[in-house]
Amino acid sequence: MKAIETKDLTKIYSGHLKAVDALNIDVEEGEIYGLLGPNGAGKTTTIKMLTTSTPPTSGTAKVAGYDIIRESIKVRREIGVVPQDLTADEDLKGYENLMMVSQFYDIPTAKAKETIERLLGLVDLKEAADRYVRGYSGGMRKRLELIIGLVHDPKILFLDEPTLGLDVTTRSQMWDYVRQIQEKLNVTIILTSHYLEEVDALADRISIIDHGKVLVTGTSNELKAELKGDIIQMTFRTQGDEDIIKKYPNFIEIKDNGPNSVRMKVQNSDEELPDIIRYISENKLAVTKMTVQKPSLDEVFLEYTGKDIRVEESPGDFKKTMFNMRRVRK
Amino acid sequence: MSGLGPLTARDLKKWYRNPVSLITGLIQPFFWLALFGYAFSKLGTIDPAAIDNAPSYITFLLGGVLTIIGLFTAMFSGVNIIFDRRLGPLSRFLMSPIHRSSIVFAKIISAMVRILVQVGIIILAALILPNGLIFAHGFTVEGALVIVTAVVLVAFIFSSMFSIIAVRITRPDTIFGILNLVNLPLLFTSYAMFPPALMAGWLSTIAQYNPVSWSAESIRTVIINGTTLTASQGGQVLTWLGGLALLAVAMLLIVYFVSEKEIRE
Repeated sequence: MKAIETKDLTKIYSGHLKAVDALNIDVEEGEIYGLLGPNGAGKTTTIKMLTTSTPPTSGTAKVAGYDIIRESIKVRREIGVVPQDLTADEDLKGYENLMMVSQFYDIPTAKAKETIERLLGLVDLKEAADRYVRGYSGGMRKRLELIIGLVHDPKILFLDEPTLGLDVTTRSQMWDYVRQIQEKLNVTIILTSHYLEEVDALADRISIIDHGKVLVTGTSNELKAELKGDIIQMTFRTQGDEDIIKKYPNFIEIKDNGPNSVRMKVQNSDEELPDIIRYISENKLAVTKMTVQKPSLDEVFLEYTGKDIRVEESPGDFKKTMFNMRRVRK
Repeated sequence: MSGLGPLTARDLKKWYRNPVSLITGLIQPFFWLALFGYAFSKLGTIDPAAIDNAPSYITFLLGGVLTIIGLFTAMFSGVNIIFDRRLGPLSRFLMSPIHRSSIVFAKIISAMVRILVQVGIIILAALILPNGLIFAHGFTVEGALVIVTAVVLVAFIFSSMFSIIAVRITRPDTIFGILNLVNLPLLFTSYAMFPPALMAGWLSTIAQYNPVSWSAESIRTVIINGTTLTASQGGQVLTWLGGLALLAVAMLLIVYFVSEKEIRE
């Protein structure tokens, strides 16, 4: 049985905003599956549908073997969710939050206590358990959220942007915790992120998603191998020079990449570079910038979405998207 | 109903751990009793017959004050649903395998518990205050039952009403606006503070159909008459309580069906 199976899963907000567009993904049992995409790609909406918080507009999905629409309560019993926003009650202690959620699942008190103790130990929160959550740091809150999603021994754990807003050190700590959870609790994890390093470090398989559609799926190595070559990015002073470089005879592919810039894919940049430089000097091209990139997930992402994951859409667009998303979500 | 226990426990825990909300909730009824009770009793204009031959104005007023406390505390009980939505806990509740209506019923039940505690303390306060509550004709178990029933029903009706409004409202200022629009009108179009004899005729007509009046008058009748309660007075009290019970059942059904279906992030 697949842990998660979606069929043309679609969500349209207020009639026009297509957040998820006929999404098809399969998640195998026991793996860490990464959904990678820029902000507004539809990752959170996908998670919300799979966790039965939001009904899909059309299409369907099976989670842990249960239909997300007809068997939503059964789905909820089998899954743990760590949403992007914090859900713990600040006016309760860490332990009380965990106990309350355990009771939601009708777990007998003795068993709940045992599980909570073990989870607190797993994420090093034992000392903080009897303190009010309002006194927790950002990292502690995220760790608490992580184990709140695990009190009922779920088969599948959903992590929506688990390290959003955390500093670099805290983030890599979180990764360690996620790995430990996967190893020790033997749970299938589906993870969304717009941090490449995160999915690269954690996920067994990755889907790159944008505009609500899956662009490509594979292991990190498969995706990198599929690039078949290295990328050389060049920026020229004039458009004319850019046109001339496109006549260079020996590349796999060449694409425009902003004003007077190109992305050239070559078989092996180490061998090709001297020839390219010779070609440039023979044609007296004025190069202002030249970078060589060996395959990384960044390149994979750029290849499939046509944009750099680190560069958001123009700030205006981004704000507008976020504003719309918030409005329809609340 | 799954989720009801832990959610109610959560609300009550937060209540008794917050001394400010606890104390202000208790000071407010003292103000009502002391300020209104004395302000009016010193006027010397009230004919004892107009206040149902109550031995003191506070004795007359108590039924109204207990009802008002129930009303006001109940009205605010839904506000926390909005804050739970804003601050995140609501999304945890919604992704858990609990009955969605238990989120709303937990608010209603915790409001009822808080109100009963307040009511007990106010009755004690009224007994202590000079020229306060006087049981001129004694007090009966039936009387105590009437007080508890009336207060519980008022608490249930109004916390249901405002919790269900809060289910579909995302901004706290909206519900505060609605609260302020209806709280004083509900109070002043009722017999909670004033006897029918002191009211304009048209207002008195409205007051007869205001559930706040039903509760205030029921409590008032049993407090003032004690053991001398006549059969017709008893029948009247039961009619008022019956009206409240009908409203409460209607609210119960509305809360259940609306919250199971409509509550969302």
